[in-house]
Amino acid sequence: MTASRPTSDAPIVSVRDLQMIFPTPGGQTVALQDANLQIMPGEFISLIGPSGCGKTTLLRLMADLIQPTGGELLVNGGTPRKARENRAYGYVFQAPALMEWRNVLNNVKLPLDVMNTPKAERDSRAREMLKLVGLEKFERSYPWQLSGGMQQRVSIARALAFDPPLLFMDEPFGALDEITRENLNLELLRLWRETGKTVVFVTHSISEAVFLSTRVVVMTARPGKIEGIVDIGLPHPRSDDSREDPRFFEYATQIRELLKKGHS
Amino acid sequence: MTAAPANLPRPARRPSNLLPMLGVALAALLLYWPLMLWANSGQAARSLASGADLGCTTALACATQLRNPVIPAPGQFATGFTSLSVPPLAPTSAPYNALVTGGETLLGLALASVLGLVLATLLVRSRSFERATLPWLVASQTVPIVALAPMLAVLLGQYGVQGFLPKAIIAAYIAFFPIAIGMAQGLRSPDPLQLDLMRTYRASPAQVFGLLQVPASLPYLFTSLKVAATAALVGSIVAEISTISFSGLGKMLAENSRASDTVALWVIMIYGAALGIVLVALIGGLERLVTRWRPPA
Ligand SMILES: Nc1ncnc2c1ncn2[C@@H]1O[C@H](COP(=O)(O)OP(=O)(O)O)[C@@H](O)[C@H]1O
Ligand SMILES: [Mg+2]
Repeated sequence: MTASRPTSDAPIVSVRDLQMIFPTPGGQTVALQDANLQIMPGEFISLIGPSGCGKTTLLRLMADLIQPTGGELLVNGGTPRKARENRAYGYVFQAPALMEWRNVLNNVKLPLDVMNTPKAERDSRAREMLKLVGLEKFERSYPWQLSGGMQQRVSIARALAFDPPLLFMDEPFGALDEITRENLNLELLRLWRETGKTVVFVTHSISEAVFLSTRVVVMTARPGKIEGIVDIGLPHPRSDDSREDPRFFEYATQIRELLKKGHS
Repeated sequence: MTAAPANLPRPARRPSNLLPMLGVALAALLLYWPLMLWANSGQAARSLASGADLGCTTALACATQLRNPVIPAPGQFATGFTSLSVPPLAPTSAPYNALVTGGETLLGLALASVLGLVLATLLVRSRSFERATLPWLVASQTVPIVALAPMLAVLLGQYGVQGFLPKAIIAAYIAFFPIAIGMAQGLRSPDPLQLDLMRTYRASPAQVFGLLQVPASLPYLFTSLKVAATAALVGSIVAEISTISFSGLGKMLAENSRASDTVALWVIMIYGAALGIVLVALIGGLERLVTRWRPPA
């Protein structure tokens, strides 16, 4: 359905000296400076940092929703634009951004409608995704009938519907309560393990980043830059017990130190 | 992520506004009687003073017997309604003529919707089109329709467009503007994130239009249709009055005002008001049908 997955020794996302400067009234904002990052296929990468440090900007650059003012960015070995045109990634926004006039099933089908997937496949594919996020009983509901967490699950199912090898997620659980959030974290990890997708995940939460990721990219603000990258050596599959692992606290401390360093 | 039981929030039924409406109707009825007597008694007194034989002796008693009352008495209303409503489909009957006017208005609304959608699409697509045309569209609405209607009817007549259609076109002339403006607003209403989402799918401009902008604009369309409906009704009635017409509420109004038949004018006016209510209700029904996905207000 989409571009084939590159061989695993080539990075799926390659960021070199990337820079993004926004013109603003009476000056400019350096949203991202000297960013360097290689993401390998199958990784789960979290971007963490205070608000305004350029996390969304970096994600939008990778997704070809904005164009960089400097540096080099390759996705799937080509330009971000080519990756977008090949429908190489699914994007989960900070807000669910569902179409209010489509029921849950039809919202998940939206990308398949746009991509002219054979009609017979659309329903079965969308139902499969809804089952994956545990919403198969709600396929006829409309967005306003769902809680925020359920809406965000629909938007995740929608991003997965066309089976992109890459998943960009911008604080997808930011607005949710702790309990829902931890449940969805478990669910997302299972999904990632089962599908082998590469995930780039933006979060504010240190524990969420440690729990989910293979690597955590720590970013700091003014100007937005990458302060450091922490490898998370916790074994997979992870469960709630992983949160009790002493290494969990070590990694969290490392990240906290990096965040502080950027602050001083 | 266990699935919760599928007990969806079902909206509580909206309290009906029937009761408050009936309250207002009752108040109007209570006021009607003294108001009617007061409004008619002056004319009754003058008639008595001039020695007319009305079959009554005091101004107050005669107030319900005038031939052309300011406000008809209940009995006069009753006979007026019957004579203008039975049989309902006779060419001189108000129900038949209301159907004609209603048909013209609906056709006008349909024409206006097509034109409004095309204009809205162009307005949203092109800033230069908007800059070039919007002032003229606004100007088109400042021309008094009473002045424009006879001219349009004559012009259209020269091209063989007669009868039903000129009125519908005049109704459309009034209705297209609110529809175009409302639709343009609706086509611009999608969330930036929804537009970004379509971009991540590499959706074509036609897909963005059809799958996002048009459905997002439907609530706006219906809001402007309701505004446009009453305006279009005024348009078709004015068109019937100010051009040569053989049917329609406007034609009945013109005839009866020449005959100073105030009872008939009152009856026709009430039919016109009812027609307006029916048209708005029709659009409301269509809206509920088309936008079932919306939470009940
Ligand atoms: N379209 C834009 N125009 C101007 N400034 C922007 C724009 N997008 C982001 N910025 C600025 O860039 C900086 C980084 O923003 P963002 O990437 O959204 O941060 P984060 O997602 O980490 O909170 C902020 O200072 C923000 O105000
Ligand atoms: Mg952000």
